[in-house]
Amino acid sequence: MGLGLLKRQVDTGGVTSGRISRSVDVAAQEETWVGMLMVAPAVIITAALVIYPLAKGFQASLGSADASIGGQPRLVGLGNYGDVLRSSTARDAIVHTVIYVALAVTLELTLGLIVAVALHRAFRGRGIVLAILLLPWALPSVVSGVLWRRVFDPDSGLLNSALQQLHLVSHPHVWMASRGWALVFVALVHVWGVLPLVSLILIAGLQSIPEEVYSASAVDGATPLRQFRHITLPLLRPSIAVALTIGTVWAIKIFDEIYVLNGTALNTRSILMEVYNTTFINADFAHGTALALLLTAVTALLAAVYAVAFGRSPT
Amino acid sequence: MRGVFWTVAWVAVLVIAACGNGDSGASSGFTSRNQWSIAGQEINVLLPYKIPERFLVEFTRQTGVKVSVNVTNWDAVHSKLIVAHTAKAYVADVTEFDWSFTGQFAAAGWYEPLEKVLDPALVGDLSRADSAFTAGGHTYAVCYSNDYRLSLYNTNMFMAAGLREFPQTFAELGPAVARLKALGVRYPLGIPMAATEGGVTPWYLLTVAMGGQLFDQHLEPLFADPGSAGYRALQFEVDAVHNGWVSPGSVTLDNGPAFDQFAAGSSAILLASSPGNLPTANDPRQSSIAPHAQPALVPGVRGPGMTFGLPEGLAIPVTAQHKDAARVFIEWWMQPDNLRLLYQEAGMLPCRSSLVASMATSGELAGGSVLSEELAHVVPLFGQGAPKWYGQFSSTAQGLLNAALKGDLSVEAALRQLAAKARELAGS
Repeated sequence: MGLGLLKRQVDTGGVTSGRISRSVDVAAQEETWVGMLMVAPAVIITAALVIYPLAKGFQASLGSADASIGGQPRLVGLGNYGDVLRSSTARDAIVHTVIYVALAVTLELTLGLIVAVALHRAFRGRGIVLAILLLPWALPSVVSGVLWRRVFDPDSGLLNSALQQLHLVSHPHVWMASRGWALVFVALVHVWGVLPLVSLILIAGLQSIPEEVYSASAVDGATPLRQFRHITLPLLRPSIAVALTIGTVWAIKIFDEIYVLNGTALNTRSILMEVYNTTFINADFAHGTALALLLTAVTALLAAVYAVAFGRSPT
Repeated sequence: MRGVFWTVAWVAVLVIAACGNGDSGASSGFTSRNQWSIAGQEINVLLPYKIPERFLVEFTRQTGVKVSVNVTNWDAVHSKLIVAHTAKAYVADVTEFDWSFTGQFAAAGWYEPLEKVLDPALVGDLSRADSAFTAGGHTYAVCYSNDYRLSLYNTNMFMAAGLREFPQTFAELGPAVARLKALGVRYPLGIPMAATEGGVTPWYLLTVAMGGQLFDQHLEPLFADPGSAGYRALQFEVDAVHNGWVSPGSVTLDNGPAFDQFAAGSSAILLASSPGNLPTANDPRQSSIAPHAQPALVPGVRGPGMTFGLPEGLAIPVTAQHKDAARVFIEWWMQPDNLRLLYQEAGMLPCRSSLVASMATSGELAGGSVLSEELAHVVPLFGQGAPKWYGQFSSTAQGLLNAALKGDLSVEAALRQLAAKARELAGS
């Protein structure tokens, strides 16, 4: 019985019920205070570690760009947001990031599903295969970038060496020089690192689907393809939503692999690298923070869209 | 219960307020010399180069101050300093202070002026080199590396190619490179061209070597005109990529790896080298071409060209926790015997005029005569000192020049955009 209902019931009585009413009021108040006290640590920690920095960041994004290099601090309002959206470098970085996200998420989900379907049933040596699969994910992204740099190095890299041995190219190719190839290779290196996690999420999702559903559909004559389309995919939606969100957020945050493979070169620069360059190289915290907050908003929006789109129950 | 809640809330407000007041650094200056008590302190030093361990051990033995050196690459040092100083947070007691930091860091007030703190004799001996660290009448750093650019070449490869002398002009450089290529040196020239500070330095060097400057006295960019030295310098680099003078991978190569290639015998000429690379290139433990590396004057238009200085200094941030110990460390570093050791073991060419003269006379400077002669060709990149927006200019240049070298932008477009950015920065 809710406290409100109890309060209304006891209010209909006389003096005794008045005393009861007051004591229930006190109890309700105390319960409210206890509740507030219980959530206070979480609220305080969140406020200190998330809301306060965000608010300070927003405040910084409204200030003048030269304040950190001795300029007179002044309020420029939302002008910094307009500046970063008009900057050709930032626009290129946005385009590159969209390409990274599209390539990475598509490959991670497609390959992740294939790997998950192949590995979710028990077979001999499955544990070893899973351990090997996890290896790229266990490596820090800087380390995987360094490893792949040895592959793409134009002068002594494995890729050029192999292609020349096979007489497929006559001279070393600078893989990170052309924009198209460089974006694809950077995305592939990123996928190499994230694919194990996506596969694991999808394997876990597959293992949560009851075997009886497949058995029943088999009795009804469903082919494996129809089972996959009408049972596996719909029931895997929550896992796909998680994998999609993680894949998207990580692709938006891509930085280490690009930095190791091609530095801050314009042809592969992502939006996060542009934030880094603007903020920490140019010491322009106002524009850097504005760009970072725009990126945060877009990431949050995408996560919300995924949550809504995949949150509906399968039909 | 309510009291408990408000107590918790009040504590939270205090915690947040404390977090907001991020000024953890001391703003006070130095203690007078007769009040020093630094033994037992520990100082942190942030540098882009390794320091010989015995150098640090000896300092600790003499002063009782323990030194912890954090070494990271130049670009990372720059970023770390900007982040820490903007947050007014402690980063180290002594840090790298490059010539290019001067305008920006001085304007921001991140470093202690040192001209009145250090031994006057030392300040006097460093006055020429330290002008690169002077802004608004204050000197913010003490020069520890008298860096400038000269060329290095592999005498073995030159002799095999029948080349007796290093080319003095760019017109002579082409045939020399062709002969080296004919000999079998696949990519004779080593020029770092990555989108880093080390990747734009050769363009600066080539611009002054070709008889030009980046900016006029009003900071108006001079490099966008096709007839300008800056334009020809970038065109030279682009042609070097297309003609196979440099390896294709040079467009992703920073100055460290470019030197490594030279020291491994992959290239015959390192066009824009630090003089400090010479002892390393002739050290058989670190180089496979030792002792065949020789310094040479940077080629020019009608004879040896100009070069420019990139001195690096030691400085004390206003947020340093042990300023007296930091000052003692810098003064100790600057003692002649220690500078000699650092030159021999870490390739840092000293900045003290008296010491350089004595080392040149005694033959302690490898390639001493060339080094001295090249010093006479040093011109400042910015006559009026590095402007406070140099960091932004350099960062933009790194991206645009690299795009031109990769063929994503024409030389004309890259330099036009860079000039526009420079005007915007200078006007802001």
